[in-house]
Amino acid sequence: MAILLSFDIDGTLEVGDPPGGITMEMVRRAYEAGYLIASCSDRALSSQKAMWARYNIPAVFTASKHQLPNMRAAITADAYYHIGDRDTDEQIAAENGFGFWWNHEGVSEPWLTLQTPHGVQTPGGEDVSG
Amino acid sequence: MARETGWERSRDPVGIWEHRGKVALASRGHAPTDRRWDGVSMDKTLGAYTIIAANAAIEDAGIKPSDIDGIITSPGGQPGGAPIGDTWGPVRPYFAPPYNTEDGLTQVTGEWLARQMGLKNVRYFNSHGDTIWNLIGLAAQCVGDGRCNVALVTYPTGNLEGRYHRNPDTRVRGPAQWSSPWGWGLSGQGFTFEQYCRKYGSNHDRMAPFVVQEHKNGLLWPGSYYAQHEPQPFTTEDYLNGRWIAQNLSIFDCDRPVNTAAAYIVTTAERARDMRHKPVYILDHTESTFQPRSLVQDLDDTEAFCKVQAERSYAGSGLRPKDIDIFLPYDGFAVFTQYFIEAFRWRGVNKGEAHDLYAMDITPQGPNPLNTGGGNMGTGRMRTAFFSDPIEQIQGRAGARQAKKAEIAVTHGVLPGNAATIVMSSTPG
Amino acid sequence: MPRPVPAPDPLSKPFWDACAQGKLMVQKCTMCDRKQFPPEATCRNCGWAFNLTWIPTSGRGTIVGYSVTYDTRINAWVPDQPFNNAVIALEEDPAIKFHSNLPGVKVNEVPVGAKVEVYFLDLEDGIKLPEWKLVHH
Ligand SMILES: [Mg+2]
Ligand SMILES: [Zn+2]
Repeated sequence: MAILLSFDIDGTLEVGDPPGGITMEMVRRAYEAGYLIASCSDRALSSQKAMWARYNIPAVFTASKHQLPNMRAAITADAYYHIGDRDTDEQIAAENGFGFWWNHEGVSEPWLTLQTPHGVQTPGGEDVSG
Repeated sequence: MARETGWERSRDPVGIWEHRGKVALASRGHAPTDRRWDGVSMDKTLGAYTIIAANAAIEDAGIKPSDIDGIITSPGGQPGGAPIGDTWGPVRPYFAPPYNTEDGLTQVTGEWLARQMGLKNVRYFNSHGDTIWNLIGLAAQCVGDGRCNVALVTYPTGNLEGRYHRNPDTRVRGPAQWSSPWGWGLSGQGFTFEQYCRKYGSNHDRMAPFVVQEHKNGLLWPGSYYAQHEPQPFTTEDYLNGRWIAQNLSIFDCDRPVNTAAAYIVTTAERARDMRHKPVYILDHTESTFQPRSLVQDLDDTEAFCKVQAERSYAGSGLRPKDIDIFLPYDGFAVFTQYFIEAFRWRGVNKGEAHDLYAMDITPQGPNPLNTGGGNMGTGRMRTAFFSDPIEQIQGRAGARQAKKAEIAVTHGVLPGNAATIVMSSTPG
Repeated sequence: MPRPVPAPDPLSKPFWDACAQGKLMVQKCTMCDRKQFPPEATCRNCGWAFNLTWIPTSGRGTIVGYSVTYDTRINAWVPDQPFNNAVIALEEDPAIKFHSNLPGVKVNEVPVGAKVEVYFLDLEDGIKLPEWKLVHH
């Protein structure tokens, strides 16, 4: 069961510019719970990679904002989510079949409730696998 | 603040500047460069940073505050002294004096600065300033004309929380009625550059070596936002993976807004010779303002405007393209720069050929030192690398950025339709 | 969200009034024999106001270039991203330019050099906005 979480950085993560509410500890918790971690941000790709290296979280993909489809094509998962702080984040998530949380929703780590005893809640709401 | 134009050298034939080599830049000073002002830290306001920069420039010149007899400033960094970003008020409450108006928060006038710094000997104030190129030209003319002898020139560029220049209007008046209904905005830059690429058979990817080199140069300049806060390299892969803002303008052609201030001492050549560093003589300043014939400024307009200004500058300084050792054309947006290089025919580059130059050696130590301070791409939207870097180059203290030959440096900005050019030299000419 | 609606002022009212009648007008200085758009209070060439008149145009033009906006500062346009920003040159005086989103033309499929003709979109406040469509022969 694979769930991919794609994080915007600026305005979303605590290390962003401006800082967002989602701490790297929350991201680490998701990683340790088995989620696939990725970033999709206006940061230069090398800057995104440097960030993940600094926190020792192996991201499966780093993408510019227009490259969410590339992420979806490259990484096989049962469900895809993007977390961001701007209308464009919501827009690209919707266009590419990613579920979406606003940065302020992300601080309660809603992804942790996705893995149910029966499987995964997909962005559309239906239960896949079992 | 109304825009003053009487001092400009903007009518052809301009002739050789009457103060050629008799006015000099003596020093530069910088405040720290932050991404934003947080709205709380009163020691990091634009006003506080302008004071830091002013003191640094005074110190760098080896003079005393009491030597300053003129303050020439662009309160907000934009034409007419308008703030480069959004204003603090009226939506947010002001603070206790001296922060009870925009002055000190998003603009810093000479009058505010003199009060806070206790500068008692200032006999000439000019807070009409413009972008940094026009501002240095204004200061050079004022000193040359004798309005003051030791001018403190300050250039603050502010940035507050949030994204600036958002447009929430549902009804549009004035000039916006001809653009907003069709969503026209930064598309102006994308449109002209798309025309350029189509006409000359180039493409956006060919910008990469230029922008990547600017980032490298910026990391070597201590004033840069990136040098101070994000010192990792910016790569070709990074540039090529940038998203479109308005095709052919990508996110990595846009300068990051920052909160900082710079200051310069502009004085007579005679006084400058007694100051700490060797004078950077100003050989010329020229200015131009154009209006496109109709709704948009297309490639033909852009090339025509840039050509007039480039030829005006050469006529004013008496120099030829081959005389320019270091060229510093504006880059915020990066898609402007080729128009300037081609208009100035620097290194023999003709129309449509600037991207060929980008593919050659444009490092500071190579044969084509271009934007050796990093421009805006490598430093943030502070615009002062265009002066502080060539000052350091000509004074021989540019460190790892030092060009082999740095006798004549020319900088040009800000827009293809509204520009000024400053010619700097190691000798009075 | 609807696109921003022009609010006519004394200078622009003749233009928008003409649009409401399905006509695309520009200013002309009869002394200089020179067209002017957007409207200005005086002729930019001679500096006089009294020779400025409004004249109808052919309503035909050519696409001279375009941008595609992916990240606009205009809030009302955000839901429509990405969208075309084509520039139209007027047939009888190519120095006179107009904006167009070329409704119906996919982004990145803007045919530069193609002929277009004006039509009008109904906006709020009774405003009719000039838009342009490809002429098919
Ligand atoms: Mg963000
Ligand atoms: Zn006329």
